Amino acid sequence: MDSASEYVLRMENISKTFPGVKALEGIHIEVRKGEVHALVGENGAGKSTLIKILSGVYQPDDGAHIFFGNEEVRDLTPVEAVRQGIAVIYQDFSLFPNLTVAENIAVSQNIEKKRLFVSWKQMRDQAARTLARLGVDIELDQELGRLSVARQQLVAIARALTYEAQLIVMDEPTSALSRSEVELLFTIMRSLRDSGISILFISHKLDELFAIIDRLTVIRDGRYMGTYPRDDMDNQKLISLMVGRPVEYTVYPKRTCNDPVLEVRNLSKRGNFFDVSFTLHRGEILGVTGLVGAGRTEMVQAIFGMNAPDAGTLFIDGKEVIITSSEDAVRSGIGYVPENRLQEGLVLQQSMGNNLVLVTLDALTNRFGALVAERKNKVVDDGIQMMAIRPADPEMTVSKLSGGNQQRVVLAKWLAKSPKILIVDEPTNGIDVGAKAEIHKILRDLSEAGMGIILVSSELPEILAIADRILVMRRGRIAGEFDGATATQEQLMSKAILGSISEHQE
Amino acid sequence: MMRRTGLLRSKELVIFLVLVAICGIVTIVNPVFIHPSNIMDIFLMNTVLAIMAFGMLVVILTGGIDVSVGAMVATVTMVVGNFMAHVTGNLFAVFLVGIGTGAILGFLNGLLIAKLRIHAIVVTLGTMSIIYGAMFYITGGEWVTQERIPQNFQQFGRTVFGHIPTVNGGATGLPIQFLFVLLAVAVTWALLRFTMFGRSVFAIGGSRISAERAGFRIDRTVILVYLFEGILVGTAGVVHTSIVRQVDPNAFNGFELQVIAAVVLGGASILGGSGSVLGTVLGVALIAVLNNGLILMRVSSYWQQIIIGLVIILAVSMDIIQKRRTEQRQTRVDVETAEGIQ
Repeated sequence: MDSASEYVLRMENISKTFPGVKALEGIHIEVRKGEVHALVGENGAGKSTLIKILSGVYQPDDGAHIFFGNEEVRDLTPVEAVRQGIAVIYQDFSLFPNLTVAENIAVSQNIEKKRLFVSWKQMRDQAARTLARLGVDIELDQELGRLSVARQQLVAIARALTYEAQLIVMDEPTSALSRSEVELLFTIMRSLRDSGISILFISHKLDELFAIIDRLTVIRDGRYMGTYPRDDMDNQKLISLMVGRPVEYTVYPKRTCNDPVLEVRNLSKRGNFFDVSFTLHRGEILGVTGLVGAGRTEMVQAIFGMNAPDAGTLFIDGKEVIITSSEDAVRSGIGYVPENRLQEGLVLQQSMGNNLVLVTLDALTNRFGALVAERKNKVVDDGIQMMAIRPADPEMTVSKLSGGNQQRVVLAKWLAKSPKILIVDEPTNGIDVGAKAEIHKILRDLSEAGMGIILVSSELPEILAIADRILVMRRGRIAGEFDGATATQEQLMSKAILGSISEHQE
Repeated sequence: MMRRTGLLRSKELVIFLVLVAICGIVTIVNPVFIHPSNIMDIFLMNTVLAIMAFGMLVVILTGGIDVSVGAMVATVTMVVGNFMAHVTGNLFAVFLVGIGTGAILGFLNGLLIAKLRIHAIVVTLGTMSIIYGAMFYITGGEWVTQERIPQNFQQFGRTVFGHIPTVNGGATGLPIQFLFVLLAVAVTWALLRFTMFGRSVFAIGGSRISAERAGFRIDRTVILVYLFEGILVGTAGVVHTSIVRQVDPNAFNGFELQVIAAVVLGGASILGGSGSVLGTVLGVALIAVLNNGLILMRVSSYWQQIIIGLVIILAVSMDIIQKRRTEQRQTRVDVETAEGIQ
């Protein structure tokens, strides 16, 4: 067929530099008219940056060319992207939970046509027509927020159709759907494809991917790894294309530790994680990895008392402990450095000194509850010295410190408490390579001193550099355990994204 | 045809039933309550509250709030009173000046909230203080007494329709001020229901990010919302002056709470995105009946404040609890489907 060779989208030589980071470098992607095309890559490979360029949210660096059909488009804005027929369905759908289904579908048309008045009849007619085109039946006057996620997604697709979208971009569209809902979505995607609409589909779930796509493009670490027809690709080949970011960190020798400090047995929480069991040893760094949304953070927060589990038991030093709050956890000798240190780990408007003593206050007060200045100063000075925080000024407001130094303040805060168990969640997210290497060294030093550390990280090179043992989580379960000395990025990624299929192969 | 979701309908039904129950209790204790002249009295005494509440409804629907409306309406009455005392009592001119004053103040609020992107409660707390300060500085806080209000305007204020005998032998009727309430109801309802402005109000209140991505012009809507409220506050200021026929700059101290309370009691979510004109009508009626009923039942006016405060907390917490429940239900559905894949 002639139209099969026609491209609805061509992006050439797309680069994007953020201050200090090259997020994308020389990416190409071409989507044919009427094809389902997958964009595949690890967490942080640059997929969402690329989508934001496509939808006009970000401007690419010089030298980029974007063609819609045969026309080159420059200075793309979000409004222009919509006008060119690009519909991006974000994971949150960007719908209005308080409006009716009909309104949600018709809203774009109303804005596009710059209407001053709304006609309810016209909105309902348009919504009914569009839903009929998708072949689904949804009550038009229902408030959207009361629909299931799957139905809300169909509403989002219907809305995209109202502005004659030529290319629908779907970001992880199956992540919250049941098997039968995925089937329905795929049926709809196929019928859209047959009517000439192209779909760019971002997903981690390789088994699903192969069921629906025509071609796929792989990016790794912001670079183009090629575009392949489905039939030329298999799981193993795809994974080897996706992973393999250069290891730029010092790789520490791995240790075997045998003295259990924390045992987690059958920990479960509906919708978060299921039947998680593992043991952490004294002096060990236990890496926990997996895709975003695999339940890692939820699981470690449960251990720290911030996310009450439905079932399961914890043992510290062989004794069962019941932890229902973060205070309990701290008392039991657990420290937690959260992923979002800005939100959860620091009081940003307060001084560095005040932040450093946040969890040790009890020990620094006299019997009347008043803070003893000498004790406080000692903790603060020790913290600043040990973590080499710069500038070494205890009065400095934390919000003015660099990201790496903020992270060190959070670590120092917990070290003053000398916990037996330290949980760090994505400790090097958003800081530069030099600062990352320092954090790695600090974590290793702490473990040498006997602390058991749980390191949650998406960054496989980081996990492989410092973790002695590695757990991979997938959809809320521990999918596999690896020895830090022998594991490879491919193995970890296969476990994280494939689950059952690769398990059969092994 | 206007269609609503079950939740909204039931919310308003609940408010209506509470209203009926309170009316019943008050009537049993003091039958004067349902005397037509008392009803007309309730209408008259709450016109200002009602007109302002519809403006506040639109503000709250966007997820905003305006605590400066008390200061605004006080200023409008002072401007209008002095205008009549010094310039003219011409009705058209008086309304123009009153509405114009309210509109300017509302527009400034909207501009600050939209452009500075500071939360509305902070901005309007600031403007409340500024407006009161400026008003007292300029006027010296002097009353405009009744003899300085032109006769024609006093006459206008006394106009009633129909003939209803009062309990003590006089006669009254449907006050002319009530027409402004009907007008405010009609305009607010039509704006919210049939214009894109109205839909953008709901859209912003429902999800600001989605509204931005969909291409709604958020700044413009926010400014228009506070401007609309200012216009209604201006109208309310003139209406108030026509009722009391004198101007006391302190008459509206704390009035913003009554206005916000009426909207919230009427089922509007303080978080934005849900609420209705019908609900606000019922909310105003509830406050009106509570105020009047507690007087007729000879309950101390201090108790009135306590009771209204309790009712507000009850109404808001029910709203928040319900929202949390819905969210929980939603996550549970997601979980079940996610587990279904396993």
